[in-house]
Amino acid sequence: MRNVLVIATLSAFAFCAPIAAAQSAPAESRQSFDQLLQAAGKARDESRDDEAIRLYRRAVAQQPESEQGLWFLGTLLYAKEQYPEARDVLRQFMTLRPDAGPGWAFLGLSEFQTRDYSRALDHLQHAMAAGMGGRKDLIHSVSVDVVCLLTRFERYDDSLDILTKMLATGVQQPGLIEPAGLAGLRLPLLPAEIPPDRRDLVDLAGRAVLAVQMQQYDEAESELHRLVTAYPNEPGVHFLYGAYLMQSHPNEAVPELERELDISPSHVLARVRLAQQLIVRQDFDRALALAQQAIQLEPKRASAHMMAGEALLAKGQSDDGIKELEIARTDDRAGIKTHWDLLRAYAAAGRKEDANREKQEIDKLYRSNQPSGSSAGGDIPQNQAAP
Amino acid sequence: MRLLFCVFTISVSLAASAATVPDRFETLAKQADTARSQEHLPEAIRLYREGTKLRPSWSEGWWSLGTLLYDQDRFSEAGAAFEHLLAGNRQRGPAFAFLGLCEYETGNYDSALARFRSWASAGWGGTLEFRDVANFHFALLLIRDGRFVDSLYLLASVAPRLGDTPELFEAMGLASLRMKYLPENYPPEKREQVWLAGKAALYGAQSPKDFGRADEYAARLEARYPEQPEVHSFRGTLYGFEGKKVDAEREYRSELKISPNHAPVLVALATIDLDKADMDEAGVLARRAIDADSSNAEAHHLLGRVLLMKGDLQGSVSELETAKRLAPGSPAVRSHLAMVYSRLGRTQEAKAESAALLVLKDKEQVMASAQEKLGEKTREKAH
Repeated sequence: MRNVLVIATLSAFAFCAPIAAAQSAPAESRQSFDQLLQAAGKARDESRDDEAIRLYRRAVAQQPESEQGLWFLGTLLYAKEQYPEARDVLRQFMTLRPDAGPGWAFLGLSEFQTRDYSRALDHLQHAMAAGMGGRKDLIHSVSVDVVCLLTRFERYDDSLDILTKMLATGVQQPGLIEPAGLAGLRLPLLPAEIPPDRRDLVDLAGRAVLAVQMQQYDEAESELHRLVTAYPNEPGVHFLYGAYLMQSHPNEAVPELERELDISPSHVLARVRLAQQLIVRQDFDRALALAQQAIQLEPKRASAHMMAGEALLAKGQSDDGIKELEIARTDDRAGIKTHWDLLRAYAAAGRKEDANREKQEIDKLYRSNQPSGSSAGGDIPQNQAAP
Repeated sequence: MRLLFCVFTISVSLAASAATVPDRFETLAKQADTARSQEHLPEAIRLYREGTKLRPSWSEGWWSLGTLLYDQDRFSEAGAAFEHLLAGNRQRGPAFAFLGLCEYETGNYDSALARFRSWASAGWGGTLEFRDVANFHFALLLIRDGRFVDSLYLLASVAPRLGDTPELFEAMGLASLRMKYLPENYPPEKREQVWLAGKAALYGAQSPKDFGRADEYAARLEARYPEQPEVHSFRGTLYGFEGKKVDAEREYRSELKISPNHAPVLVALATIDLDKADMDEAGVLARRAIDADSSNAEAHHLLGRVLLMKGDLQGSVSELETAKRLAPGSPAVRSHLAMVYSRLGRTQEAKAESAALLVLKDKEQVMASAQEKLGEKTREKAH
């Protein structure tokens, strides 16, 4: 797979800079350098990778700032699974071509292999932002690694968001089962780090999460039921089921979320989702208590502030409620629901200008057509909640 | 005449060179600083390289070159720049740590640890943010070196600023489970254990402490891995921090069933016995700890205390002197040694120990030096 990935990318990557680099070299060394590049390219075309690597190394030794030399050397080393050296060469390349999305991609993929996960995530996300020129294999590899790394860094909602986007583009599911299961169960492990006795648990959860994301609800229901039956005491399982039930059978979600809190007393999102349902039931006191506990556990969780704000508004404490909603709004993930809540609260408080501003923000968000957020075991999908 | 001309030419040429090099250097230095401030980094690097070549004693140039290369993840080259800088006299403190960071990234771990020790000895220089990064890597290298308690001390010191970050709890997990690994090379199948232990350790070390959440993760760890070495030891230590002595003792005894020669656990149980005045078992456990790790100062200290309580003053003094040799900076050892010397009528030695104790107590109140805390302390033993 890695070889295919590299070859596909090598052939598609166009360069113009080596000409400029060669222009500044003396004629004699340029000839030698050009000959080396030519010979290296021929070896590469003929799949004599070791020979190509040897020649590119010589070329780069002559001209350390040769973009072409660094690029092919780095990617060939990656293909040969010589990740530390590939990483170092690609780092050098990226200092010359910080605009090259595929360069960030291979650098991040190399760092993933050397277990430098923090840098890998940073660089892979850089690749996604810069674009990879429509190279599907590369985009897929990068996306999968980003999903896995976001989960490992406990950014489960971001991970599920990317998963949702991948599924929307028609990506094949099998390779996503474990990443989806880990994100859904909120286990900060890479697929390779799953203990053998947990594989079945993660696999079941992954199938359920993917079914939910693909809106295959019969299958999702069946998988989730199997999961809860097989693993009734595992942290994360009842939350996953409860979050799913919130959409279809909200009343049945409550005992699942409560069970999750018995198993995982510091589960922030179980509190948030439970508060959400209690607000629907007009049990504002309990909803507020849960939201405030969630805030204490995770002060930056926007949805917890949103629930606290809604409960306070419902209890008639509009100033405090607005304050909570304004905190929720500062989060990047704050969506339309927060702005709708604020719009109503400002309007009720006679703050017309503030209400107008929220209205404009809502219009902007609708126009930008933000994805509706994850629903499988994640935070409150904010943009689904238009009034 | 010809010879004269040549000499004249040479002298003119030297004079011209002496006049142009400073000008050229000043111009280069200015250009380099401008390129850096305008974030034209490759250009800045090139100019700093030229400048340091022209004037190898240019400390600021080496510093800028090193930090720019470091920021670009070009660690070997950055390390070389910091080595040049350290060859001079200025900015030694932070440069040691920067070199340590570079060597960490290039896999020269032993050397990196030595650099961080030098940095600590030179006064832990740098901005708060830089110190956190350096301390974090210093702590990782201490874990690799088997100095888990020292490592946790450093990690706890950065925890208030770094907060609940995956990197921090991973490091705390490794140290808590006494795993002599770096985050990038521990066995992947250990990840869940490391995560759970790290979370528990982090919440237990936070200010204010969140023992509720610490216990939740520790309970998950114990439920998932009841037969794994170090799990009960860690749980016992956590209970100890919470003041739950009965629970701590139960966990330590569970650990001994799995790891019968676990010196720190034997020491912990002997300490609990001593508090309960169970001298017989305390003595047995302290001796077992010494058998398992003869360099464990606290085991000798405990045995010395037990023998003192039992009236075996000669035996006590021998153990306490060993403890003093292994941990010369421990006020408690000096205190007990003064007591035993006094009972033995060795007044001068008793006075010397009391004086040493006062000095140590004073130091402890201010803050022990970096070297004392992390330099030559008792080596812990990994299991």
